[in-house]
Amino acid sequence: MEIAEHQAGDVTILEIKGRIDSNAAGAFGDRLTSLIKGGRARLVVDLKQIIYISSAGFRALLVAGQLAEETNGTLALCALSAEVQRLFDLGSFTDLFAIYPSREEGLAKLS
Amino acid sequence: MSLADPPKKDVVVITNAITDMAKVVEFVDRFGATHGIPGEVSNAFNLCLDELLNNVISYGYDDRNTHEIRVELTMEDGVLTAEITDDGKPFDPSSAKLVVADRKLHSRAPGGLGILFVKTLMDELHYARKGGLNIVRITKRLREARRGNR
Repeated sequence: MEIAEHQAGDVTILEIKGRIDSNAAGAFGDRLTSLIKGGRARLVVDLKQIIYISSAGFRALLVAGQLAEETNGTLALCALSAEVQRLFDLGSFTDLFAIYPSREEGLAKLS
Repeated sequence: MSLADPPKKDVVVITNAITDMAKVVEFVDRFGATHGIPGEVSNAFNLCLDELLNNVISYGYDDRNTHEIRVELTMEDGVLTAEITDDGKPFDPSSAKLVVADRKLHSRAPGGLGILFVKTLMDELHYARKGGLNIVRITKRLREARRGNR
């Protein structure tokens, strides 16, 4: 898994590439929570280039999403492929997060 | 033609370390590329093996010793099978509780999701305990491949 970080105004975009599996979930979660704790209250996680996300990755998203909620921040997701969307639907995660079809739409909503 | 083809088999052995699971990902991708398995099927196996192996490595052992976990892939007559053999505590993932989804973020508890993925993405999940070993088998039929050239 690779993570690239971009800033657009006060919105931070995290672009994830590869697999968010058991091996990668720790680093993925740590990056999200450290940004939120560091005061980056508006986050968009771009999942366009991920292959899949395992339950360990969903757990990391859940922890980060709950932390964002507690600190009045926003954690949004964008650009889910059909395969990744299916995993969100199976786990009933689709309703837990703001999910946008593209990065541009996510940015427009959070800006 | 496919009926005359012998089964294609390969094995990887890892230790009970989460970082070792990357070897299984490489193994599945290599097996898939060698035998013309569609990418989405290899990805589904990688995801399910991640869930099952994470369970074994995280909860299967009470000691701190190094244990071997064997993963065997078999492609036969349009059916892909992965078999995990470990010497951890008896654990039948096919009888594990499925996730009870809460649609509110603040009260949603993690857990149960991995087995839900395995049961949904695979056609079969089978468990046996033999000679002090857990043997978990997951199976998926490659529907398109049945009519293919292989």
